[in-house]
Amino acid sequence: MNWNWFYRMGSPRWFYESTSRWLPWFGALTVLLLVSGLVWGLAFAPQDAKQGNSFRIIYLHVPASFLALAGYFLMAAAGAIGLIWKMKLSYMVMKCAAPLGAVLTFLALFTGAVWGKPTWGSYWVWDARVTSMLILLFLYMGVLALQYAFDSKDVANKASAILALVGTVNIPIIYKSVDWWFTLHQPATIRFTEAPSMHPDMFQPLLVMILGFYCFYAVALILSVRVEILSRERKTSWVRSLVKQATHNSLGAE
Amino acid sequence: MNFQFDNVSGMLHMAGHGIYVWTAVLVTLALIAWLIINPLLQRRRVIKEIAQDVSREQLRQNASGESV
Repeated sequence: MNWNWFYRMGSPRWFYESTSRWLPWFGALTVLLLVSGLVWGLAFAPQDAKQGNSFRIIYLHVPASFLALAGYFLMAAAGAIGLIWKMKLSYMVMKCAAPLGAVLTFLALFTGAVWGKPTWGSYWVWDARVTSMLILLFLYMGVLALQYAFDSKDVANKASAILALVGTVNIPIIYKSVDWWFTLHQPATIRFTEAPSMHPDMFQPLLVMILGFYCFYAVALILSVRVEILSRERKTSWVRSLVKQATHNSLGAE
Repeated sequence: MNFQFDNVSGMLHMAGHGIYVWTAVLVTLALIAWLIINPLLQRRRVIKEIAQDVSREQLRQNASGESV
């Protein structure tokens, strides 16, 4: 089998140049999906029979939680690829996914807390789902902290990747926590094996928001990986000529 | 698909839940914006750094060229 495509994908320059072409489209799609999903969910979806309008937080809480979990898988997979094939680009993706995932996990916890107050009567409960999400936040912060804990970049990357891989054990625990333990948290709205437990009028805007969050995640991750590439490859001639062009353009604009 | 509120102030109030819903919306939008703006600012800083490196190296090269 020809593995050229695989090695080409590992090239920071290839990543930088191809994402330059995709980014504007992804950015436009993200804005379109998030704006339409948010307006739809906040103003036009019918209110919940039991929870009233507080349920509208679902349009932020579920997408943020989805991406917090999916982002962790991505980070761990990038770490594994880095460990096995010693790919620089893969470690860069892992490093950039950590703060992004930490913010999304925080967002899932925060929106959960402001939803919990009117619904459960409390901002915080030491419930299985909430607690395992808090552990996810600490795992993200651990991966991030290890990046700065070593003088050697190589050792830091390996340590981060191993922590990320070990931490994946938490993901199925989070996912299954609402079934395994008696919790306050409501069961999953969307399951892979069954129809969603939600009326289509409520579910469609949620789907739009989840897609919007996926696109947003892609844009945010790509933007920060690109900065990482510029910074690490600053001695190479392609970055030099790119910088020359960029400074030339900005001087021309001023 | 109908607008679910009587008017804009009804939507802001959301029958008492407005404070929770809008807090969640504002915090989410602020964090999303920050996650996009932060790498853009960093990018500008890195490009500036590299441009400075390049001009410093050119100066050094010119200086050594003259002394030979």
